[in-house]
Amino acid sequence: MQQANLEQARITKSESSRWIKIWRHIKRDRQLLILFIPCIIFYILFRYGPLYGMIIAFKDYNVFRGILDSNWVGLKHFRNFFDSADFWLLFKNTILLGFYSLLWGFPFPIIFAILLNEVRFIKFKKTVQTLSYLPAFLSVVIISSMVIDFLSPNRGLINQFIAWIGFEKIYFLIAPEWFRTIYVASDIWATMGYAAIIYLAAIAGINPTLYEAARVDGCRRWHMMRYITLPSLMPTILIMFIINAGNMFRIGYEKILLLYNPMTYEVADVFSTYVYRKGLLETNYSYASAVGIFEAVIALIMLALTNVISRKMGGRSIW
Amino acid sequence: MVGEKRLSLFSIVNTILLTFIAIATVYPVLYIIAISFSDTASIVQGKVFLWPLGFNIDAYVQILSEDRVPRAYLNTILYTGLGTFINLAMTAIAAYPLSRVTFFGRKFFMIAIVLTMFFNGGMIPTYLIVQQLGMIDTIWAIVIPNAIWTIELLILKSFYENMSDSLRESAVIDGASEYRILFSIIIPLSKPALASIGLFYFMGHWNSFFIPMIYLNDVNKYPLQVVLRDMLIFATAEQTNSLVDRVTLAPEAMKNATIFITMIPVLMIYPFAQKYFAKGVMLGSEKG
Repeated sequence: MQQANLEQARITKSESSRWIKIWRHIKRDRQLLILFIPCIIFYILFRYGPLYGMIIAFKDYNVFRGILDSNWVGLKHFRNFFDSADFWLLFKNTILLGFYSLLWGFPFPIIFAILLNEVRFIKFKKTVQTLSYLPAFLSVVIISSMVIDFLSPNRGLINQFIAWIGFEKIYFLIAPEWFRTIYVASDIWATMGYAAIIYLAAIAGINPTLYEAARVDGCRRWHMMRYITLPSLMPTILIMFIINAGNMFRIGYEKILLLYNPMTYEVADVFSTYVYRKGLLETNYSYASAVGIFEAVIALIMLALTNVISRKMGGRSIW
Repeated sequence: MVGEKRLSLFSIVNTILLTFIAIATVYPVLYIIAISFSDTASIVQGKVFLWPLGFNIDAYVQILSEDRVPRAYLNTILYTGLGTFINLAMTAIAAYPLSRVTFFGRKFFMIAIVLTMFFNGGMIPTYLIVQQLGMIDTIWAIVIPNAIWTIELLILKSFYENMSDSLRESAVIDGASEYRILFSIIIPLSKPALASIGLFYFMGHWNSFFIPMIYLNDVNKYPLQVVLRDMLIFATAEQTNSLVDRVTLAPEAMKNATIFITMIPVLMIYPFAQKYFAKGVMLGSEKG
């Protein structure tokens, strides 16, 4: 009996001493915690708040009742979305646009970085590299505007050239078969320079003795690129590939919003542009949230999948 | 050397190729500037190629005499200035407790913050939160909901962590408070890192169009990028109709004049900024 009491006392004592410890820790860090309060509020309101707000996808959102008091409807919006004709079209468009962006967009910065590295004239190299960042400083509106100007059927330089070599002018921006090409090509133009930064840094980290040894052995420059630069870049390339493949479905919808029109919806409309139209333009908040959740889940699965595959293949993982 | 002679062909091709890339990168910007200074006849006939034809500044006079663009310019300056300031202040302060190894709940906070990079509520729930906070159609909707970018917070946190601890320790011995340490020691010593992340915040605000477009309804509050978007849609509509326009001033000239004055601050900081920019990309990639 006494033993048990003692035991109990010890537990409460250790329990309370744990709380005392935590309290002391808080008290010691109180200034740091005060500094941290704005950050906590920000993350709760604007990062975790929307996560909680996702429940409206399972409700019929009513503006007057708010997120909490709107009626539950279960999976109604998801069912409507899966049954609608839009679903497969959006699915296909999202996958194709993401896939083509990766397929065409991924190799360019690597090639650019390797070619730039081969330049012996440092000033030329620096100039080209500096200029290549320029598009990263331009907004998506400006880039889209350039695309529209260059492709204009009346005055655009590309159509003038097409007419000059004797072909029919192409109405690029209302031609569904051209949309993906335009999207991917303008993306390459806009991102190649700054995507190459990472590869250039990786090349700079290659041990120069490797090149010296190869030179002593009479190795040609082409062979050095092929057997030293490229293999040394492989880990970086692999990591970047995993990241890019994982983000394949997070498509830059801002540019699509600026470049598409009803005539190209059939190829240009992706999940996020659909969410924008249904949710913010047609104020169909609950339905659009359901689509948004579906998109997020797909994107997350994609990220996890590429990660698992790469871990199985080469033991590399971004987690 | 044996190799040298054989290299030359490759070097020539490579130089030509890279020169072409450099030209292709810069040319659209030069084209915009040329169009903005050209006269209507040359633009309509599609004669402008590299320099302005029939040089004039009518487009600039026109857009600057109307209310729309100057007002949008002031709005952009206001949103960018206040926005970047809030971003930097929030990030600089929030990164400090996180950089302290013994900070209460550090692990929990870190996990909670990093998780938001993978899970977010998405466009609509975020919009509804901003709406319920009564921020729609105010500057706060622009500057508050993205007050901290998680990636920049992590970059600054690791910068703080790599700083020498001895200064902080001597300040502690002198009895300085945490506030004092942060504002008088840590932040002044972090200027290069703050400049780097500040650049990203600045560019983010100056170039942002989607956020102001969805949160602002009042045309008078539009920043430049949203005004530009309206001009762009007008230009596209005009193209699809393919009508001969009878406006005395080509809409292209007005649009490209607006683009050019929008780009001026960016082009001015660009030579200095690109150094920080490359560094920032590298730091970000190490974290991501």
